[in-house]
Amino acid sequence: MSGVRNPAVSLVVASYEMARVLPRTLRSLLPPYQRDLDPDMVEIIVVDNGSSVLPDTGSFESLGAVIRLISVAHPTPSPVAAVNAGIAAARANLIGVWIDGARLASPGLVGACLKAATLHQRPVIATVNYQLGPTRQYLSAQNGYGPGIEDALLDSIGWPDDDGYRLFDIATCEVRGGPTGAMLESNALFLPRDLWQELGGYDPAFVEPGGGMVNPDTLIRACGLPDVQLIRILGEGTFHQYHGGLSTSTADGAMQVLQQGSRVYLQRRGKPLVPVRAQGWHFDGRRRVRLDAQLLADGGQACPAA
Amino acid sequence: MDDRIPVDPDTLRTWMVDYITSVLDLPPETVLPGLKFNEYGLDSVEAVVMAGVLEEEFGVPVDPILLFEHPSIDEFVQARATPGGAAMTVAPDPA
Repeated sequence: MSGVRNPAVSLVVASYEMARVLPRTLRSLLPPYQRDLDPDMVEIIVVDNGSSVLPDTGSFESLGAVIRLISVAHPTPSPVAAVNAGIAAARANLIGVWIDGARLASPGLVGACLKAATLHQRPVIATVNYQLGPTRQYLSAQNGYGPGIEDALLDSIGWPDDDGYRLFDIATCEVRGGPTGAMLESNALFLPRDLWQELGGYDPAFVEPGGGMVNPDTLIRACGLPDVQLIRILGEGTFHQYHGGLSTSTADGAMQVLQQGSRVYLQRRGKPLVPVRAQGWHFDGRRRVRLDAQLLADGGQACPAA
Repeated sequence: MDDRIPVDPDTLRTWMVDYITSVLDLPPETVLPGLKFNEYGLDSVEAVVMAGVLEEEFGVPVDPILLFEHPSIDEFVQARATPGGAAMTVAPDPA
């Protein structure tokens, strides 16, 4: 078996037909772009869920990285089995899941989650979702936003060679109330291996294309485990690249996925889908310190460039 | 085809107050039916979710756009409830 022997963190990245966006995602997860990490601290597991052409992960060897590629034997429209296969294969004690391999990370995200994980025995570490572009992609797509414009946007900030935090300059926060607002989901979500096992991973009942509401469900269930501590990572984030996804390409599609998903969630869980409003702890990902409530109230220093 | 929600205005109003109170964890007295949804902190995502729950609860299609076109309980009830419709005792499960 190839790979890092004793990684500090495993990153599980689910992918399906992401030839354009996945290489950038992987680049964003690896040193030297990811700061304060050695390549042998990070294990990346790409789980391909039935793409017509398998991702070429070998091109990252020049960065000193070893990326394990798992190809799902029986791909399904839902990525749940792929994600769970990745979690099962992960070797580190801390596991972060990218259920959507189209998301870039800001430069300190992985290190921040590693540090945050040391603050509590049972941490549920939630990162904030952003979307590249002037507004949410299902809206900006109506005005012509697409791969070409997105590529130009990334070029305009010199990504990835210049300051990676400039991603915040060209992106929109998905959380309506900002990084401390009600959080429907987190991509990426970091839990210790034991908590992933206790949670049972992502729920295979979510067989809908794209997984429906499985990502919100996972965050909600994780926050509901006994004695856990939610930790929100502020000042870092993941940034969705446009790839024709079900919930990010058109307004109608986004609304249908959410509405239908909320019905299925109600049927499955017996309660309405409710975003996570609990603040938990706020962790400043850039300064690598926990923020207290007073500091936030004094001036919103939690997310300096967001 | 009439796709109004097949309950009377009082029933729908009560359901919506209970739902919003429950999912936002607000004191019932603060959920005034004349206020806009966003004045409670009910954002557009949660409005779409509520449309899905309304469909499940009442068995009729509910276009989420209607909640943006009629963005308060009173406005939505006036537009979508069925005067003379069934009076029901319904309450969403607690979040």
